[in-house]
Parts: sequence; structure tokens; C-alpha cells
Amino acid sequence: MLFEPTFLANQFLNGLQLASLLFLLSVGLTVVYGLMNFINLAHGTLYMLGAYIGLSIVRMTGSFWIAFLVAPIVVAGLGAIAQATVLRWAGNTDPMKQVLITFGLVFIGLDAVRYFWGDYSYSIPSPMIFAGTVSVWGEPYPSYRLFVVGLGLLVFLVLYFGLERTRLGAVVRAGVDDQEMAVALGLDIKTAYFLVFCVGCGLAGLAGVVAAPVLSVYPGMDMSVLILTLIVVVMGGPGSLRGAALGALLIGMLQTFGQVFVPALASIVVYMLMVGVLLLRPHGLLPIRAK
Amino acid sequence: MQNFPEQQLRDAVAIIVICIGLLVWFNAGFFGHELLAQIAILAIFAMSLDLLAGYSGQVSLGHAAFFGTGAYGTAALTAIWGWPLSVAMPISIIITAGLAFCVAIFAVRLSGIFFLMVTLAIGEVFHSFFFRVRVFGGDDGLGGIPRLDLGAIGIDLLSPISFSMFTLITVALVYWGLSYISRSSFGAVISGIRQNESRMAALGCKVRSYKVWTFTVAACLAALAGSLSAQHDGFVSPDLLSWTASGEVLIVVIVGGMSSLVGPIIGAVVVVLLAHYVSGLTNYWMFFMGLFFVAVVLAGGQGIYGLFEKTCRRLHNVKR
Repeated sequence: MLFEPTFLANQFLNGLQLASLLFLLSVGLTVVYGLMNFINLAHGTLYMLGAYIGLSIVRMTGSFWIAFLVAPIVVAGLGAIAQATVLRWAGNTDPMKQVLITFGLVFIGLDAVRYFWGDYSYSIPSPMIFAGTVSVWGEPYPSYRLFVVGLGLLVFLVLYFGLERTRLGAVVRAGVDDQEMAVALGLDIKTAYFLVFCVGCGLAGLAGVVAAPVLSVYPGMDMSVLILTLIVVVMGGPGSLRGAALGALLIGMLQTFGQVFVPALASIVVYMLMVGVLLLRPHGLLPIRAK
Repeated sequence: MQNFPEQQLRDAVAIIVICIGLLVWFNAGFFGHELLAQIAILAIFAMSLDLLAGYSGQVSLGHAAFFGTGAYGTAALTAIWGWPLSVAMPISIIITAGLAFCVAIFAVRLSGIFFLMVTLAIGEVFHSFFFRVRVFGGDDGLGGIPRLDLGAIGIDLLSPISFSMFTLITVALVYWGLSYISRSSFGAVISGIRQNESRMAALGCKVRSYKVWTFTVAACLAALAGSLSAQHDGFVSPDLLSWTASGEVLIVVIVGGMSSLVGPIIGAVVVVLLAHYVSGLTNYWMFFMGLFFVAVVLAGGQGIYGLFEKTCRRLHNVKR
């Protein structure tokens, strides 16, 4: 039963779907780290807010697609506000200070969500077009999950070409490679950083909306996902887009197959992998700067 | 020029705070003693994190893992296997030390934000271990933990009055021990590592082994606090090891004032009292704690004692 090809194929797709969500979450964190050496611990909170705001929009309008478009924008706006106020006041001389502030925001966000939406667990129904199933090797598989996989892939391609082919992408890459030199050449790293930060927040919100029909929406969903996301970032090599994709794929697969084959040890297997990677390659699998 | 008596000021404030604790102890009712013991346990836990984060500069978000192993070790050895507590307590601290040593060997390869993220993940490993394993009660936790039997010297720790005194004395001892460490050459070296790691390495200091030992000592003291907490509540649950627990103790240290040892004691007093009074008014106490914490970090991150010390330093300089 456990080793039937159709079952394995299904689990493989589930793994891809988790990887896709993790990629959406980790990409913002990793590029921001590359630019500013700063990790936003409230990233999981933005994911949770994306899911809850999506939930409210679905309830108000009845349309998943409006939520899909609007919630990430709202979340990106919240990220922009946080960046323009508290994180800027903290100054960017000491990244640790900013990290601690975002940690305080985790507590604030958690209770704010409990205040506005209560302690209950919710779910958003899948949109109409993807409500059904498709046949994968003769087994029915929910088409919505395939949509999630496709979305992750699309975002990866867009970001990859955005970073490689556009002017803003070039500025971001220059900032990641050598901040001082980029600033000395007159590149506007601050604006690029602000934009990247907002896009990252928006993608976290997008991940929240997209995850809501698959996983349930509850207070506390932020931390469970944040830890996996941090592992993806650390493993892939902070700052690296391809590293985030590779890390997300590894962790998504390991988590999914781990849950199936060794349910008691699944989470521990993931952490052990991270420990192993960090021991052998302290700067991650695909480090951005050669050291 | 006469130097500012930094250490003397800290010791004086610590003595004053502990004396206030004693005064409260003489006048407290049943609930007052419970609160006092809670503050004392949190203060020990916070001082242990201060050694790690404030002195050696390794800011950990997984310190509750060791608090929890101390608590679970005590609970399992006494409640499941029926060992006497006087043996279980040191053994659980030694087990924690071993675990912490293993974790530290690899964790100290990283620093700054990486260290923070990895300790967060390691904390979650410990949490999910105790959450899953049925022997330790899984997510139901484990109850029936006795308190230390000091009947031989005529003290009954089962009464909250003597237990709170016991925790208060432990706080004083831990403060004394840690301030001794901080003034020793070991303390000077780890402070040096915090301020400039590469320079210390260039001077020939074995940076990693110092970091490993600091981590282990801090974990032992956290385990001591955890063991006391298990005895105080008579119950342990995986919540003791959750990221919120690690986060709260980091908040206590930063709100009180890092790298001062007396700051975390003040932080513990403030946070427990605030938690007690604010959670009486609202269900959303973490919201206000988060706001308060962000405000403290924005105000410069020196915490309550840091601001006090700064003021004293100014006054001292004005006098001259």
C-alpha cells in the first residue's frame, strides 16, 4: 500500500504543493536577508494575516479570486507600513534590533488576529474552477493543489527573470553582491530594498490566501510555517533565490514523505537535515557569496 | 579619574531587589508567595539567558528547551521512576548539560541572526519531542511531581511560604555565582568575544570552546529554573518548551536590561506583575507585552536597568 506508484505519485504532488507554499514564503525573507542582513521573524504573521484577510474578503464578496488579488496587496501594504515606521525608527545599523522588533510584532499580530477573528479554526472553499479533481495515474487528485504547484512555479520564473533581466533586478543583485560598492556607484539600494521587502510581504500574504483552502486557518499557523521557512532559508543559503527554491523543494518533499513513512519522526528528520547541511556547508547549499 | 562603580551599583541594586523580595515575603499571603516563587524562577531562567545573550552575545530563541528538559527530567525521574528529588534534580541538570553540550558544538559555528534561527529550530525539536513521546505524557503533560525534602533540617517545602523563600535564596545564589563568573577571566573573555570575535580569535583565544562552555552553563541554570518550576507547579507540559516561552524569557532579559544580571531580575518582576495585572483586565495580554517590548527595543534596547545605569553614570560624571 505504502509503495504503490499511484500513492507515491500523489504524495509527490503533495510534496510539490508544500514546496510551492514554502517557496512563496521563503523568497521574500531570503532576498531581504541578502540585501540588509535582516530576517523578518514576523513573516509567518504576514502569512497568517494573508489567510485571515482572504477569509474576510471571501465572506464579504463570495469570490476567491478577489481575495487572491486583494489580500496580498493589503499584506504588502501592512509590511510597507511596518517598514516605514518601526523598522525605520530602529535604524539599520544593527540588524539584531530590527529582528527583535519583528519578534515583538509576532506577539502583537497573534493577539490582533485572535481579537478580530477569534480563536476558531476556519477554512476557505476552493474556487469553482478548481473545486474538482483531475486523474493522476488513475487516482483522483484535487486540481486546486495542482494550481498551487503551478503558481509556485510561475512565481519562481517571474522572479528569476525579474532578477536576471530587469533593471531593478540588476540593482538588487548588485546590492546583494557588494552593498558598499553598489551604493558608491550611486545605485538606490534603499528604494530597491523597500520594494523587495514589500514584494516579499505580499508573497507571504499570497501564500496565506492560497494555503487557506488546503490547510486550515487558525491563530498559531504563523509559527508552524515560520520555522519551516527559516529552515528553507538557512538551508538554501540566505540571499539566494535558487537556494530558496531548492530548499523549499527538499523540505517540502521530506516533510510530506516523512509524515507518511515515519510520522513520529517527520519533524525531527527535517531538523536533522538542516543540522547536517549546516555542518557540511555552513553557508547553505547554494550560497550567494563565495566565501 | 575615578571610574564609574558599575559592578558595585549592580550588586547594590540586586541586594535591594532581593531585600524587597524578603519584605514582601514577610507580608505576603498565599497568593503572594505563589507570585514570589514564580518571579524568582523566571529571574533564574532570565539570568541564565543573560549569561548567554548579554555576556557572550549569543542571542538564543530556543532557551526554553533547556528549561523544559530540566523540568521534564525532574518530573520523569520522580513521578515515573520514583527517584528521590534530591537525586533527580542534579541528574536532570546533568542530562540537560549533556544535551546542551551536544547542541552547542554545532550551534556555536553560527552567530548573530543565524544562531537565533537555528536555536529557534532546535527549540522546536525539543518541543515536538516532548509533545509526541507518550512516556512523558505527550501533549497532556505529566503531573505528581514532589518538592525537595528538606525535612532533615526542619524545613517543609510543601508549604508555599518556605518554598518561595527557597526560590528567593536560589536567586541570590545564582546572582552571586553569575556575577562571580562575569568578573572572572572567563567572563572577561566571553565579553571580549561579544565585542569583537575576530580580535579575540587573533589573540589566540579558543572562541568556540568558550562559546560551548557558556552555552552549557547557561543551559544548566535554565534546567535548574525548570526543575524548580516543575516542583512549584507539580506539573509539566510541552508548553514549557514552546517558542513563546523562549520568546518571553528573551523579552524579560531585554526589558530588564541585558548584560547586567540584575536587569533580568528586574525584568522578571516587571513582566510577572504586568502579566498578572494586565491579564486580569484583558485576554490579549501578549498584544500589550509585544507593544511594550517593541517600545523598549526602539528606546535603545537598554532596558529598565540600562536606563537607570545610564542616568547614574551621567550623575556621576556631572559630580566630577
